[in-house]
Amino acid sequence: MPKVVHHPAYGRYDLGPEHPFSPGRIDMVLDLLRELGIALDPVAATPVTIENLLAVHAEDYVRAVEAASAGEAGAEQASFGLGTADNPIVPGMGEAARWLAGGTLHGARMIAAGDAELVLQLGGGFHHARHRLASGFCLYNDLALAIRHLVSQRKRVAYLDVDVHHGDGVQEIFYTDEDVLTLSFHESGEYLFPGTGWPHELGQGMGRGLKLNVPLEPFTEGDSYFSALERVSVPALDFFRPDVLVVQCGADAHHLDPLADLMLTTQDFERIFRFILRLAGEYTGGRALFTLGGGYSMRVTPRVWAILYLVLHGLPIPEALPAAWLERWRDRLGSPSLSTLHDGAEPYPAVPRRGEITRQNAMMVDRLLDAVARYWL
Amino acid sequence: MLVREIMHADPVSIGPDTPIERAAAMMREGNIRHLPVVEGDRLVGVVTDRDLRLATSSLSTRPSAPSAPVREVMSHPVETTHPLDPIEVAARVMRELKIGCLPVLDGPRLVGIVTGVDILDALLQLTGVERPSGRIEVRLVDQPGELARLTALLGEQKLNIHSILSYPDGEHRGRTVLRVGTMDVRALAERLCDAGFEVLWPSVQPCRR
Ligand SMILES: [Zn+2]
Repeated sequence: MPKVVHHPAYGRYDLGPEHPFSPGRIDMVLDLLRELGIALDPVAATPVTIENLLAVHAEDYVRAVEAASAGEAGAEQASFGLGTADNPIVPGMGEAARWLAGGTLHGARMIAAGDAELVLQLGGGFHHARHRLASGFCLYNDLALAIRHLVSQRKRVAYLDVDVHHGDGVQEIFYTDEDVLTLSFHESGEYLFPGTGWPHELGQGMGRGLKLNVPLEPFTEGDSYFSALERVSVPALDFFRPDVLVVQCGADAHHLDPLADLMLTTQDFERIFRFILRLAGEYTGGRALFTLGGGYSMRVTPRVWAILYLVLHGLPIPEALPAAWLERWRDRLGSPSLSTLHDGAEPYPAVPRRGEITRQNAMMVDRLLDAVARYWL
Repeated sequence: MLVREIMHADPVSIGPDTPIERAAAMMREGNIRHLPVVEGDRLVGVVTDRDLRLATSSLSTRPSAPSAPVREVMSHPVETTHPLDPIEVAARVMRELKIGCLPVLDGPRLVGIVTGVDILDALLQLTGVERPSGRIEVRLVDQPGELARLTALLGEQKLNIHSILSYPDGEHRGRTVLRVGTMDVRALAERLCDAGFEVLWPSVQPCRR
């Protein structure tokens, strides 16, 4: 059975009513799971300490975040990415981010200690947070903290990122690391934040050939996405032989997501999650840490993450959404009204450039595999 | 962007009587490919790793000995640039003459060197992927004040602009591509659309107005 990690304090990571990164998304997942008759009994962890954070962040950066969080003004805040539209300064944000990072780190500790194989952290996934920069709604890189802990316990870690945005923070932090493979599948940086994540970003030094990026064309659909995922992750894991998978499960590659342009459906997400679970079974003896991530449509994200929960627990995917849940979140869900957990048939009009997009993505995978082949000898 | 912002200041230089083998060693040690040759206060030439390899190759029609002075193999006279020249001027000279570097002179004094790689770095900076950013593309009517109206709107949203590229798009119109410090470019696109701008990316629903 997977271990589930969550603490109510995660809800304090709230960047404001207008901000897309709403803690309401997690509330909606928990409520949906309960209404589906699941008795949730999550493991609670404590927040990470400042000391813990220094494993992946610069000390001056951490001090600046904590000072801003305590309401102190600071001239250097802007240079750390604080006080921007994406990362506004909100009282208590530092502590809230440490609660979330604490959950992800706890998941890694349980896996490293052999107390758990499969862990689902119902929060976190702050993959844009850099060593010295707040970015893309992220302050502290919980994923990097978890990976660093696993590496310190002599585990080789494969990081897999299916969020629609490039996992730039995690990649940056482990760019020269030989014990960490990073794989990111995302909408091309030509079109989408943060602008990085190109096939030539292969890592440096001992990390060369271990940082892989697949930029996908806007309007990429499920089959083309899945083909890229399969064609890259299987040979990469064959070569790298990880001990643990760490997976960022952002839901923003869904076609209704307001921040990006890929065309996945909830059915595609189910297929992706089942595939990753199979990879964990084949390559890491089932040891895998899953976190949440981006996902900005209230109509979509709770359903995708409920599906993630069900897949990881080997539970059947029910067809209907519970009436009580639909009623409770009616305002957030908007119209037209939903009735099923999965997307309906023909969820979006046909993509006119489908053939071209599929070819372009396949070529991108070819180029990446070509480029990396010489480092995989 | 000016040459002085991208040049390597106080470059390593050599005298014209420096032996070829010594110049080659300096290039290897410093991991550089170009050495200005200075006599007294005056720049008299430039020697590149290619000059040295050609001069000492057995395939050369007039091979030089490793101990020969670089004056025998250096390129001269030298094209130069000034610290306050725009980088596009420096780039154009390098492109037209097909050369890989320009020494930077302030009066007679050598103050820096600019290479093709520096120009590429500048291009990367100008296109704005140096900081995490989203992309927005707008078609503007080619008339005074349009770009100002656009950037003012971004300022109101507290959005940092990391780069702006503009180029002509047919007659009387231009395309402007901005990299801005936000993930949420679609919310921004809708606001721009409402303000009457023609937004080309990200794709937005028809304007609310
Ligand atoms: Zn995302």
